[in-house]
Amino acid sequence: MSEALQDPSFPPQNIDAPEAALAVRGLDFYYGEKQALKSINMDFRKQSVTAMIGPSGCGKSTLLRIFNRMYDLYPGQKATGSVLFDGANILDPSLDLNTLRSRIGMVFQKPTPFPMSIYDNIAFGVRLHEKLSRSELDGRVEDALTRVALWKEVRDRLKEPATGMSGGQQQRLCIARSIATKPEVLLLDEPTSALDPISTARIEELLDELKQDFTIAIVTHNMQQAARCADQVGFFYLGSLIEMDSADRMFTNPRQKQTQDYITGRFG
Amino acid sequence: MTSAAAPRTQPAPLQEARKTPFWKGDRLFRLLVGACALLVLVSLGGLVLTMAVGGSKAFATFGPSFVFSNVWNPVSNTYGALAPVFGTIGSTLIAVIIGVPLAFGAAFWLTNIAPPMVAGVVGTAVQLLAAVPSIIFGMWGFFIVVPFMAQHVQPFFRHHFGHVPGIRWLVHGAPFGYGLLTGGLVLAVMITPFVTAVMRDVFAVMPPMLKESAYGLGATRWEVMRRVIVPWSRAGMIGGVVLGMGRALGETMAVTFVIGNANTIGWSLFAPRNTVASLVALEFPESAAGSLKLSSLLALGFILMLLSFTTLAIARWLLREKNA
Repeated sequence: MSEALQDPSFPPQNIDAPEAALAVRGLDFYYGEKQALKSINMDFRKQSVTAMIGPSGCGKSTLLRIFNRMYDLYPGQKATGSVLFDGANILDPSLDLNTLRSRIGMVFQKPTPFPMSIYDNIAFGVRLHEKLSRSELDGRVEDALTRVALWKEVRDRLKEPATGMSGGQQQRLCIARSIATKPEVLLLDEPTSALDPISTARIEELLDELKQDFTIAIVTHNMQQAARCADQVGFFYLGSLIEMDSADRMFTNPRQKQTQDYITGRFG
Repeated sequence: MTSAAAPRTQPAPLQEARKTPFWKGDRLFRLLVGACALLVLVSLGGLVLTMAVGGSKAFATFGPSFVFSNVWNPVSNTYGALAPVFGTIGSTLIAVIIGVPLAFGAAFWLTNIAPPMVAGVVGTAVQLLAAVPSIIFGMWGFFIVVPFMAQHVQPFFRHHFGHVPGIRWLVHGAPFGYGLLTGGLVLAVMITPFVTAVMRDVFAVMPPMLKESAYGLGATRWEVMRRVIVPWSRAGMIGGVVLGMGRALGETMAVTFVIGNANTIGWSLFAPRNTVASLVALEFPESAAGSLKLSSLLALGFILMLLSFTTLAIARWLLREKNA
């Protein structure tokens, strides 16, 4: 293991793969004076699941919130460096955030159904960006709900408030809501942390299907989850990306001792 | 330490609850808090009863026409509640129509847009304003708002709208400065900080993740407000409006100073009117014990309570559980 610490190939500098949906380069992030991310370089490949793991406060959720500029809502938070997405730098202040966020969807730690009907929840994002006829919108709602395996459960109560669903259903609804706007990237911030094991398993299965069409970035506290769902895994510690590799390699033969310690449960 | 701990090696024997040392204290506590709750009921019942019994003479003398007559004439000893009730409802509605949108805007800005430092300072100022005694608003209204209305607002409206059919009657009358609109304005200034404070608290407890979800779908601030924040906060916002209305309905001093105290009914917003609370405050000292006038004033009090309860009932109805 000690040789791995000197591995010159890390951090990887030449991972400008053309299939990267998001390319993070020299990214620093600050909460006021406090630096939360330190010169991150990382690629998120198209049509695959990239998981970010690491102990609480390591910056993995912060990274996710940079990709849709959520941090913009809060004065005092600042990012420097670049995140390339479809030829543009996401950090560019002149970017239209509403368009960006319609192309990069996000699902949160807890289900966040809006106080409206199931149908309107799904249609919410679509209506913001597209003028669809009633039947087109109906089709979009059905399609999104079908993709999260919720259609059969709720087809007869689309007009009922979404808050009446179970927690697992609500979270799948939130995923459906995000994919209904047809984003290219889906950001998942510990999407199963508030769910029971059965709901968790259903969402994990879902990720496997969704990655055919979306680039998925998932933050998780659960290492088994990362091992089960992810193609690539990045390990974060104290604001730095310690190691990034394929999931197989990360969980069987990590290069860094810190990674080894974390995935075997010796700290964190 | 060891000796004190020694008996704990034996589990405490199960016994009748009445024999444990805390039984009496527990029972006393239950009685005390129960009495506190009962006191609320007794006061409410007592108030309603006092007004009803005191006003029974007026109700008996005039019958239902007490409520529907707008005559208030101590000389002929005939009294009717309609004029002050009209003034109370009118001034309260004006206050709500002007104050609630202002309060909503201020509360939304404080919780969703303002930088935290500024929001803290302004938020404290709002609370201070909400705590200003109403007599202060009365004096301020008397010295500032009334002359301003008389010299600027009323001439302006009379000049520009005095001949417009439909609106003409709203601005009719001599520019005294006193009147229904002035009363409503002062009330609006008074309840705005109050409603703002309540709405701010409602917006502040909204889970940030819910808002972020809407922003995360690409919604603008306006869309997030209209589609997510307002529906989510609906109950609390209505609660704030009702509290403000309750304050406006019963407000006495601030209104008495500026409304003109004339027991009349009409379309004009500029004509002097009266409110129930204001009329009672002014005429109470001049009413002899046992007189029909005093009874009429108590009957007015009864009607004012009914008005408040109705407001509350409407709020309850608006907030009724939609079948989930």
